[in-house]
Amino acid sequence: MFSLALKNLLFYKSRSITTFFLTFMSAFFFIVYVAMMDGSHNSMLQNALKVYTGAIEIYKKGYRDLGGNEYLLDTVESIEKKLESIRGIEEFTSRYETYALLSHKEFSSAAMVAGIHPDKESHMSQLKEALKEGVYLQDEAKNSMYIGIDLAEKLHVSVGDELSFIGSTSDNSFAADLFIVCGIFQTGAYEFDSSSAFVSRKYFDELTSARNKASYITIKVKNLADVDVIADNIHKVLLDDTLEVVTWKILMKSMVEAMQVDSIFGYISMSLFFVVIFFVIMIFSYINVSSRIREFGVLRCIGLSRLDIGKILFYEIFILSSAAILLATPLGAYVAYYFSLHPIVIEGMSETYKEYGIVSDQLPFNFDMLTIMWNVGLIYILNFLSILYPLHFINSFKPIEASKHV
Amino acid sequence: MVFMMFIKFFLLSIVCSVALFANEMSAESIIKKVDENMRGKSIYMKMKMSIIASGHTRTMVMQSWSQGNKKSFVKTLYPPKDKGITFLSLDGQMWQYVPKIERTIKIPPSMMLQNWMGSDITNDDLVKQSSIVEDYDAKILQRDGTIVTIELIPKEDAAVVWGKIVSQIDTKTFTGVQDLFYDEEGKEVRVFKYADVKRFGDYFIPTKWSILPIDKVGNSTQITLEEVSYDIEISSEYFQKSALKRFSR
Repeated sequence: MFSLALKNLLFYKSRSITTFFLTFMSAFFFIVYVAMMDGSHNSMLQNALKVYTGAIEIYKKGYRDLGGNEYLLDTVESIEKKLESIRGIEEFTSRYETYALLSHKEFSSAAMVAGIHPDKESHMSQLKEALKEGVYLQDEAKNSMYIGIDLAEKLHVSVGDELSFIGSTSDNSFAADLFIVCGIFQTGAYEFDSSSAFVSRKYFDELTSARNKASYITIKVKNLADVDVIADNIHKVLLDDTLEVVTWKILMKSMVEAMQVDSIFGYISMSLFFVVIFFVIMIFSYINVSSRIREFGVLRCIGLSRLDIGKILFYEIFILSSAAILLATPLGAYVAYYFSLHPIVIEGMSETYKEYGIVSDQLPFNFDMLTIMWNVGLIYILNFLSILYPLHFINSFKPIEASKHV
Repeated sequence: MVFMMFIKFFLLSIVCSVALFANEMSAESIIKKVDENMRGKSIYMKMKMSIIASGHTRTMVMQSWSQGNKKSFVKTLYPPKDKGITFLSLDGQMWQYVPKIERTIKIPPSMMLQNWMGSDITNDDLVKQSSIVEDYDAKILQRDGTIVTIELIPKEDAAVVWGKIVSQIDTKTFTGVQDLFYDEEGKEVRVFKYADVKRFGDYFIPTKWSILPIDKVGNSTQITLEEVSYDIEISSEYFQKSALKRFSR
């Protein structure tokens, strides 16, 4: 049956070439498209996680929903001690965030002012790498403030300028101080760069009476895929119902949902493409089978069963699909791999799409063999489905009737 | 005996007349009367504010001078670490002077809904930048004796921070009993409760205010008006930017 199928393919060249070409194109483009889509989503996520949000964060229940100093962590040192024993955690640090009024001359703006441990923070987030002008914060720095580039622009300040800080302490009383801008950072995330400023916790804790207190503890993990297991372990170790351990999947829920919606629309667009490919292959198979009714009739008359006819058609599509996919898969995989190492650069993309969390002009692809396997598997299945109707059509003829068909 | 009966009859007549008069008043007129009671032509107040949060109580004392709804000046007297902090509201703009850093800071409109000095009142409450009379459409929801419930919906072009306010007003004195504030999504945000109404000349004003945030159970801010003077002559010097530093001492 297999050699008969092979002979048929060589005999009906135009049908074979068309099916091969369409299968090759759909497999190749599907691999490349999914790699690009997943790559851009991963890049957005990793950029966002790199900028400031941790893979896991520990909060007092209520802080994320209601906010305010009533929901601050107030046993930071003991929580941090417990975290040291948990496997899979690479680094952690506490942050004390407060919303304050920053002012310079006649310019003022509300901003998130966060007390951080500058040294630890440099391993946790992109803050240090994002330095644009001046110097990064030092642990011992007093009255030094590290601010976002867009916030600096709003306040008309540059490095060395003085900023007035008006805010509240951790017990809600009034706090005010003068800070000097030591450095200006640019992460590329507009929301963040236009509303964030950082000071060393050593100094800020005194000003805001926040010693041993924190808005939350942020945790960096060794492997992002293990966040759920590590979060579970943290829960078990802390044994405190007033705390909540939240992973990036919840912290960045809106971004994750936006990416899911984007993926769905991406797959819908691709499925329209597949529908067209599917019908073209099916129509070509149908036309081919229609022109071979007499041939199939003769084969049935000399003793081939319906199953044997099905096997011939199956082998034909199997050979064509396999050949096309065997060629398309390494090519598509190579393109995905190449662009995962050397991302496409679209000048100005981050500027245009900054509000969607795109902080880089680079568009890296995602190279994942498992994804490529299911991509080609789907093309395979569609190709096999496309011969079902032609098979049904040819089997609707009786052998004698088919052998006399003109 | 006859004299006492006459007095009782006279007082009853006054109460009935006021009630009858109030019953006929429109929502706008009632709100206007309440606003007049709260502001007068000018008003000076010394108030004590207790902020209860996380089981702790902080007390502040301050003085305020206002003229209409465009000019107001507030000075903090207590606690000592906050003494001399001053606020000036002038034609919709607000400034703050902090003696500790010797700086005058302009408070941007985006901060008007922020809590003032850690209390449950906002910057907007303090300076009364938005006017309950000019910025809201009033509608009577219910009349129950002398208590009238009025719904205040912001006018389309009004720059206000609340989605809706439902006020209960005692039309005997034209003072608020309770204000319930809603956000733009129609969610209850906080309640102002007023008590201990006192008369100062032609005006009535509740001298005890409680502010209860809905989403923070256990937190509250209590304000007691210790001194109130209406329609006094307030020097125009209070309503200049230079006053922030000058009157801070």
